[in-house]
Amino acid sequence: MTDPRTHRSDAAPSVPSVPEPTGASDAPVSPGATGASSRGFEAVLIVVYGLFSLAATARSSVQMLRDFSFAPVAYLLSLVAALTYIAVTIALVRGGRRSTTALVLCLVELVGVLAVGTLSVLDPALFPDATVWSVYGQGYGYVPLLLPVVALFFLVRGRRKGPEASVSAR
Amino acid sequence: MTALSILVTVVCLVTAALGFYYAARDLSADLVLLGAAGLVALVWAVLGAVIGLRDAAGGHPADRVTLYGYLLTGFAMVIGGSWVGVWERSRWGSMVIAVVALVAVVLLMRLHQIWPGGFA
Repeated sequence: MTDPRTHRSDAAPSVPSVPEPTGASDAPVSPGATGASSRGFEAVLIVVYGLFSLAATARSSVQMLRDFSFAPVAYLLSLVAALTYIAVTIALVRGGRRSTTALVLCLVELVGVLAVGTLSVLDPALFPDATVWSVYGQGYGYVPLLLPVVALFFLVRGRRKGPEASVSAR
Repeated sequence: MTALSILVTVVCLVTAALGFYYAARDLSADLVLLGAAGLVALVWAVLGAVIGLRDAAGGHPADRVTLYGYLLTGFAMVIGGSWVGVWERSRWGSMVIAVVALVAVVLLMRLHQIWPGGFA
């Protein structure tokens, strides 16, 4: 993966204001002093994606270990969903809002939710047991459908505005 | 057991409301919000202990893996969310605590479905 900063090095003569890696001692909310320690909305996304990674992984592994032949398609698709969530979480943690990998993975995720959701509506026989993405994530309050949209919106916005967006997005 | 469920729900919802309020006012998590999150962890631990005792006393949960999986996930999630609240010094840290508290309510509802006998 490339250093995300190289994308924007043409914008400004770089590095005059790299925040010093101060410890947590200056913690009490100083607006504007959001350096590398503050991820902003990204933190919320990471937590939600992390939770979905855990939920989908646990669900698919328990289901597969119990009786894989009962609904192989559904369980495999649950596994795909789980792996996607894990990958997005890792991409967000490592690359942050300017990560191209995260952007691509979120697109994959959106396509996955839409495809699996549509398939589960059109051909319910394929899904004797539900997956995370069945009926567009109905079992999870449609959050699986909403999540990639919100994430994509955030990622595209973060790219347009650049690193400064992290401050104004607060 | 109903009383305990209600207590957990109320603590979670109050914490979630507080977290969203902090996020709306652009406040980072302070000791009040972190204390509320700690309270969520505490009541969740009590809930887990009571369910565990009921199981040990001869209950028959149909699906022990899922039951304890949910209980452990809930606890780890609240601790993790509080940790993010400490580490993310912005409104979004508060929002993480709010989201985690809301998810805890959902997990509690699922727990009722997973082992209705445990809450009877």
